[in-house]
Amino acid sequence: MISTEEIKKQLYENILNGDFETTKDIAQSSLNADADPMEMINSILVPAIELVGEKFGRKEYFLPDLMRSANAMKNALEIFEIEITKKGIERKSAGKVIIGTVKGDIHEIGKSIVASLLTAKGFSVTDLGVDVESDIFIKKILEEKADILAMSALLPITMPYQAKVIEDLKIRGLRDNVKVIVGGSPVTQEHADRIGADGYADNAVEAVKLAEKLMKK
Amino acid sequence: MSIRGLKGGILKFLKEPDIDAIHFATLEVLGEVGIKMEYRPALEIFRDFGARVDFKNSIVKIDEYLLNKALSTAPSRFTLYGKNENFDVRVDPERVYTIGGSSALNVLDLDGNYRPALFDDLIKFTILLDRLQHLHIMHAIVIPSDIEEYGVDRMLFAGTFPYTSRNYYSQSQTGADGVLDQIKMAAVVQGSEEAVRKNPMFTEVVCMVSPLQHEKVNSEVLMESAKNNIPVYVEVDSMPGGTTPAPIAGTLVEQNANVLAGIILAQLVNPGTPCIYSIASGLMDMTTGGYSGGAPETNLLHCATAQVAHYYSLPFQGGTGIDAKIPDAQAGYERAMQVLSNALAGTNFIHLSFGMMEMMLSASYEQCVIDNEIMGAAFKMLEGIVVNDETLSVDLLRKVGPKSAHFLTFKETSEYVRKNYWVPEITDRNVWSSWKAMGGKSMQQAAGEIAKKIISENDKPYIPEEQTKEILEMAKAFHKKAIMNLKKASSSH
Repeated sequence: MISTEEIKKQLYENILNGDFETTKDIAQSSLNADADPMEMINSILVPAIELVGEKFGRKEYFLPDLMRSANAMKNALEIFEIEITKKGIERKSAGKVIIGTVKGDIHEIGKSIVASLLTAKGFSVTDLGVDVESDIFIKKILEEKADILAMSALLPITMPYQAKVIEDLKIRGLRDNVKVIVGGSPVTQEHADRIGADGYADNAVEAVKLAEKLMKK
Repeated sequence: MSIRGLKGGILKFLKEPDIDAIHFATLEVLGEVGIKMEYRPALEIFRDFGARVDFKNSIVKIDEYLLNKALSTAPSRFTLYGKNENFDVRVDPERVYTIGGSSALNVLDLDGNYRPALFDDLIKFTILLDRLQHLHIMHAIVIPSDIEEYGVDRMLFAGTFPYTSRNYYSQSQTGADGVLDQIKMAAVVQGSEEAVRKNPMFTEVVCMVSPLQHEKVNSEVLMESAKNNIPVYVEVDSMPGGTTPAPIAGTLVEQNANVLAGIILAQLVNPGTPCIYSIASGLMDMTTGGYSGGAPETNLLHCATAQVAHYYSLPFQGGTGIDAKIPDAQAGYERAMQVLSNALAGTNFIHLSFGMMEMMLSASYEQCVIDNEIMGAAFKMLEGIVVNDETLSVDLLRKVGPKSAHFLTFKETSEYVRKNYWVPEITDRNVWSSWKAMGGKSMQQAAGEIAKKIISENDKPYIPEEQTKEILEMAKAFHKKAIMNLKKASSSH
């Protein structure tokens, strides 16, 4: 029988190495060995993902490593949160984010990087994928009681759709319910200001900082 | 006399068996993984020609015979027409040409300001680029911020086509209607739409999405261009490690399947449509997630893709922007490595090779002039070395003999130098004191002075003013119509 200490070490290594394919099994086995899910999050997941972030900053790790570790973190959180909910405790997420690439645009990768990094930083993220219609964004914002809507556009001709979603939010009287952030290669701070977004970042790391800043407001 | 480019192809990173392996892997991907095509008429054509089409998931799977059928009608040689025959470009899979920058959102202007691009910049850049010797194909280098984005291609046409002598590299952002609008505008110069279809002075580009996806608008533009005999750059913009496999070999396979599927479609619609196998791929920087055109891996990829395109006897467009923000040492080294390697590899169109900075986000007037200089140096190397009795110069060596002497005063020397030596325009080869005495200018300053001079001395379009005006009025009306159609479509939705 493998000890709880051994499993903790395995999970820590798993997050650090980003082996997300096996994370759920390890997280589950820690619960089977009576580990406390809250403690696992605070003493294993958080320090592991923080070290991943540091390594990324030092250029020891790169985006693929960061995203794999973020996926591992997400998988572990899913297992632990089921247990935490069962116990009737509520774990506070850093914030709820709805993210997607706007209608007419099927560019996937930028917003996926942002989604991963937000997850790694403790946000709960709903990724609606690409070519997302305004109504779908709004429906999800209501369902999830989201704090932040993050929209990506990679084409100059799909950028105006970010404005349309913001307009639709206003029409429905929901604009004040949610912070809106925008990104994508052709998107600029100026565009964000013009369409009345709450923020813009020019890369994924900055996007996470922006989300954290907006949550403090 | 048309322009006849120098021949490239001396630089080869792939061995023949490597290219065979890439070809076979591509057949496997085309036949078993397939391409997603969102435009139903494209799927229908593939079905009619015997491809296996899954209409529910919009996936087409293409077998070898269909590829071979399409390749048998895709021309290896054709002409891209300029506004006079001196600027006709004779395309084949050996000759090397250049294409200017495209679609930058910001400019680094001649007062050193970094700011959003304006329509006026588009005209000024085009006027400048049109006077640079080594530019062969004109693109719209900026997307002006003072024009509504949707359907902006009509306005790009009006801001570029009238101001250039070169063949114009166009695009349609809205679909088939954009191609038809542009044919009408070109007809103002060419006399009739029929004349445009016969010898089009512009081309279209379609950009496929990696991995393995053709968006609706692009298929529509591709098919409409083919129907009208407008040559098409069938382009994929992969980001190795991001949207395609990280190894260059895997990216070559994805690009190949994606581009060939587009070329096949064009050939099925109208056999003989001139297609240029094109990429504007760039390595994904694994710290920012951004696109790197200046990375050495990107250069390797582009050179290798030239070999893959040439395997099918198709002309190839490679090359891309650089990552530097200002015309500095980074800009110089990135551009030089890129241009030289692509030229030597036989990239038939070195694309985005003038003025494009900051991962394709900005354009610099000064860098346009510097890039022309770098291009001149690269083309000089592309000329290679002529070895014959005359150049071996044994007779001359005999004449001078083994003694203290020099070759400067010989007629042979004078003739050879005048005919063959590259004369730099803004490269300085003086010693410090002379350089100082002449103002001690950096290359950026020297380039800026030339750019300013060209722009201040030239403000007329290449075609008559009335035609320029007529095209502008048409473009405004077409642009307005495109925006109205969009509004109609979204309100009926």
